Amino acid sequence: MEFDLDYLRQQLPLLRAGLVVTIQVSAIAVVLSIAIGLVGAAVRVLRVPVLRQLFAGYVEVIRNTPLLVQIFFVFFGLPTLGLVLPIFWCGVLSLTLWAGAFQTENLRGGLSAVHRGLSEAARALGLSRFQYLRLVGLPLAVRISLPSILNTCVSLVKNSAYVSAIGLQDLSAVAFERIANDFRAFEMLSVLLVGYLALVLSLSFSVRALEHRLQAPFRR
Amino acid sequence: MMDTLDLLRTNAPLLLIGLRSTLYLAAVTLLASTAIGVFFGTLATLKPRWIRTLSALYVEVFRDIPLIVTIFAIFFGAPALGIPLEPFPAVALGLSLWGGANGAEIVRGGLQSIPHGQREAATALGLRLWKIYLLILWPQALRAMLPAFTGLLALIIQSTSLGALVGVTEFLKAGGLIIETSTVMRGVNPAFGIYAFVLLVYFAICSVLTWLSRRLERRLSLRGGGHAVRAPDAAGV
Repeated sequence: MEFDLDYLRQQLPLLRAGLVVTIQVSAIAVVLSIAIGLVGAAVRVLRVPVLRQLFAGYVEVIRNTPLLVQIFFVFFGLPTLGLVLPIFWCGVLSLTLWAGAFQTENLRGGLSAVHRGLSEAARALGLSRFQYLRLVGLPLAVRISLPSILNTCVSLVKNSAYVSAIGLQDLSAVAFERIANDFRAFEMLSVLLVGYLALVLSLSFSVRALEHRLQAPFRR
Repeated sequence: MMDTLDLLRTNAPLLLIGLRSTLYLAAVTLLASTAIGVFFGTLATLKPRWIRTLSALYVEVFRDIPLIVTIFAIFFGAPALGIPLEPFPAVALGLSLWGGANGAEIVRGGLQSIPHGQREAATALGLRLWKIYLLILWPQALRAMLPAFTGLLALIIQSTSLGALVGVTEFLKAGGLIIETSTVMRGVNPAFGIYAFVLLVYFAICSVLTWLSRRLERRLSLRGGGHAVRAPDAAGV
C-alpha cells in the first residue's frame, strides 16, 4: 500500500469542511468559556453566597471527570430530559463547559495575584466591589493570567477532536470515516498529524510570542 | 430515579467488569508512562544538544496531537501495516505514548529541581554518569515528582475512557451497554441517570487522587524539601 496523493487531493474538499467545523466549534467555545471564566472568577472573589459554592463544585466536577464522558452526558443524557440540542451545539456546549472550568481557575488565580492595595485603594475611592472588578481587578487579572488562559484555549482546540466521538463532522471525524470506508489509513492519518500539529504549534507559538511581548515592560 | 438505581443494581457485575478493566488499563499505562517518562525525561537533562532535541520532539508531538487521534492512528494504522492489534493493547499503547510524554515533562522538572552542586560533587567524586543518575539524581527527584505523578494518574484514569470508542469494555463502555440494552429491551432510555452515575464514579476516584496530589505537594514544601514539580492539568496536556 503506497501513499496516494491523488486520493488525498480528491478528499480535500471534505477535509476542508471538517477543518472548518473544528475551527468553528473551537472558536465559539473559546469565547463562551472565557465568559464563564470571567463570571466564575468574579463570583468566587466577590464571595456571592450560593453561586460561589456552585462554581467551586462545577470546577471540581469538570476537572475530575473525563471530557469524553461529559460529551456523552450532554449528547445522550440531556435529550432524555427533553432538552434536545443539534449535534453541533452539543459539541460546543460540552467543550464550553469543560474549558469554562479551567478558565475560571485561570482567572481566579490572576485575580488573587492582583495586589491587595489596589482593591483597598478602589474602596477608598468609593468604588463598589463590582466596579472594582470591572474597572481594575479583571482587566489586570486577564493580563496576569493571559498565558494560562491562552494555553487552555490551545488545549481546547486540540481537544475539540473529542466531538468526533458523537459524530460531529470535524476534521478528525472526516478522516476517521474515510479510513473506515476507503481503508486509506496512511493518507488520512498523515493529514491528521500534520493538521493538528500545525494548528496547535502555530497557536502555541503565537501564545509564546504574546507572552514575550507582554513581559517587555518588565524586562531589563 | 428508582429506575436508574434498579438498573445499576441488576447490572452491577457488568459495571464491575468495566471498572476493573479501566483500572487495569490505567495501571498498565502508568507503568509504561513512567518508563517512557524516565527515559525521555532523563534524555532532556543530558549534555548533547541533539539528544535533548530528540526528547523535546517526542514530548511535543505526543502532547500536541489529540489523544483520540493517537489512539485511532494506532488502532487503524497497525492493521494497515500488517500488524494485528487487539483493542486493549492498541489503547494501552496510545495512552502510554501520550502519558510518557507527560511523564517526561515531570521527570525533566524533577531532575532540574535538584541543585547543580549535587551533580558536580558526584562528578568530582569520580562517579560515572549512570551512577550519578541512579544513586544521586533519580532518588532525590522522586520526592519532587511524586505529587505530579499522582496527578498524572488521575488524568490517565480519565483518558482510559477513550477505550470505549475502539471496543474496550471499560467503565464508560459498560455504562453505554446498559443504556443500549435498556433502550432496546424496555423502550426506556436511561442515558441521563447512567451517564450521571459514570461521571460520579470517575469523579470519586479522580478527586481522591487530585486531593492526594495537592496534599503531597503541600507536605513537600512545608518540610523544606524544595518545590514539587507542578502536577499536569487536564487543560495543559
